[in-house]
Amino acid sequence: MAELTLKDVSYIYSAGTPFEKKALDNVNISFKSGVITGLIGHTGSGKSTLVQLLNGLLEPTEGTILLDGEDIWKNPKDITSVRFKVGLVMQYPEYQLFEETVRKDIAYGPTNMKLEKEEIEKRVSEAAFFCGITDEYFDKSPFDLSGGQKRRVAIAGVMAMKPGILILDEPAAGLDPIGREEILGGIRTFQRQTGTTVIIVSHSMEDMAVYCDEIVVMNKASVYMQGKTSDIFAQSDKLIEVGLDVPQITHLFKKMRSMGLNVPENVFTVDSAIKATLLALEKRGGAR
Amino acid sequence: MSEAFIKVENVCFSYKDDNDEDIPVLKNVSFEIQKGEFVVVLGHNGSGKSTLAKLLNMILAPASGKIVIDGLDITSDQMTDDEVYSVRQRIGMVFQNPDNQLVSSVVEEDVAFGPENLGVEPEEIRKRVDGALAEVGMTEFARHSPAQLSGGQKQRVAIAGIIAMLPECIVFDEATSMLDPSGRKDVMRAIEKLNKEKGITVIHITHNMNEAVNADRVIVINEGHVCMNNKPKAVFSNVSKLHQIGLDVPQVTELIYELKKYGITLPSDIIDIDEGAEALASLFG
Repeated sequence: MAELTLKDVSYIYSAGTPFEKKALDNVNISFKSGVITGLIGHTGSGKSTLVQLLNGLLEPTEGTILLDGEDIWKNPKDITSVRFKVGLVMQYPEYQLFEETVRKDIAYGPTNMKLEKEEIEKRVSEAAFFCGITDEYFDKSPFDLSGGQKRRVAIAGVMAMKPGILILDEPAAGLDPIGREEILGGIRTFQRQTGTTVIIVSHSMEDMAVYCDEIVVMNKASVYMQGKTSDIFAQSDKLIEVGLDVPQITHLFKKMRSMGLNVPENVFTVDSAIKATLLALEKRGGAR
Repeated sequence: MSEAFIKVENVCFSYKDDNDEDIPVLKNVSFEIQKGEFVVVLGHNGSGKSTLAKLLNMILAPASGKIVIDGLDITSDQMTDDEVYSVRQRIGMVFQNPDNQLVSSVVEEDVAFGPENLGVEPEEIRKRVDGALAEVGMTEFARHSPAQLSGGQKQRVAIAGIIAMLPECIVFDEATSMLDPSGRKDVMRAIEKLNKEKGITVIHITHNMNEAVNADRVIVINEGHVCMNNKPKAVFSNVSKLHQIGLDVPQVTELIYELKKYGITLPSDIIDIDEGAEALASLFG
């Protein structure tokens, strides 16, 4: 378990030139340790800049980023060790596969960490397990796999580094419903079993509602909202105002309430919608 | 009855693997699309959807079978170069990644790229570019650099670039999948407007079931076959079959399907929020 905190962080691209652009403006976030936090915001809201700051790919123009209480830029020479502790899975990570076999590709990170051979092997099989990659794939070329399988190999490669914090940028983008479920379900199992602090960036409100414990909403370079998933999605108007949305099922329940039906407001997943409807019908004396 | 605009007849297509063996992607696919229709194509990853799209504007050629566009057999080996170019002008394509399809450093120059290549007169190009940008609501960005635009705005510029070639049909290959919710809405609105107001035939490939709800027709591809081809309501009432082949239904449809398992009487063809709310309200009497 690891804790990541941003204190008064600002980031300016091309500072001092006519193209100067403030991508983050005095941002304060404390990512709760041991849970899955969803990071949402429209295009250009500062999510990607934020993600790159979190694992030291960018250095804040102002403010500090604290990993377990320590400024990650305290000793700039040590920034590589921060990248081992804060794993980042970029968008479309399958394009970054390059090794001859699936096994070697997953082992690449831990090998660079100069771990013992046994430890590397152990980590490779653990990470492969969470990503649903079975032994039969280990000696195949990653380029012979399907898109969804490649994506899972790439994610396993970062998990195998056992980072205290795992950040994934749109891990399910472009996948069909089963592919999404395989990847996001695997990430959740990994998080629940290892206690890793996980941050997921996504545009899919439906997925965020199902898989995230906490949500941070970015808008115009600032933190717009942060809190429990249910508290955030309860404020649909505020989300729509900044170009985001709530799941369709939440719109349905809002509509039902506006028709005067006594159903709860905070419904964000189909599962909770089923329970809420059944309960409401029961209360009403059943219309079955 | 008039001839269909696009006729796909018994089309097969295979890719070769490393050992030069055929991997069949499309197996005997047949369907028709009428002029002015809005058709959504669904299917899981690897089902053959994108291959199908690429066959329609001759990026790929089928191994066997026939594709006829407005009476012209585009799979015939008699096709002249001019005919090939005319097919690509008439059937435009917009792809998934907005960053991969803009070529110029100024928005309006990018939109002009297509008609320039078709040899259109400069004055006419000016008219088409202005018209196309207005069509997708991007006029105010004409002199901007695409690099400063959001994903949804870039996709709308890509669409404008296609419109400027005056196509009769546009194929959208997961063109909304990388966008944020508002970008998605803007692009969907632009696509629906082109279809309704300009009569452009739309073939929209997507994983987002909510985008299929307003289509005239939904074609579901599975394992290289057309496994459903019907109105959205008829397709989405097959919840268990869609789940079986790895697809979702809109959340409203899913909720109603699950509630019916508890013996609650509800119609099975509900796909949008308003209908769903009405149906559920009736339970409360």
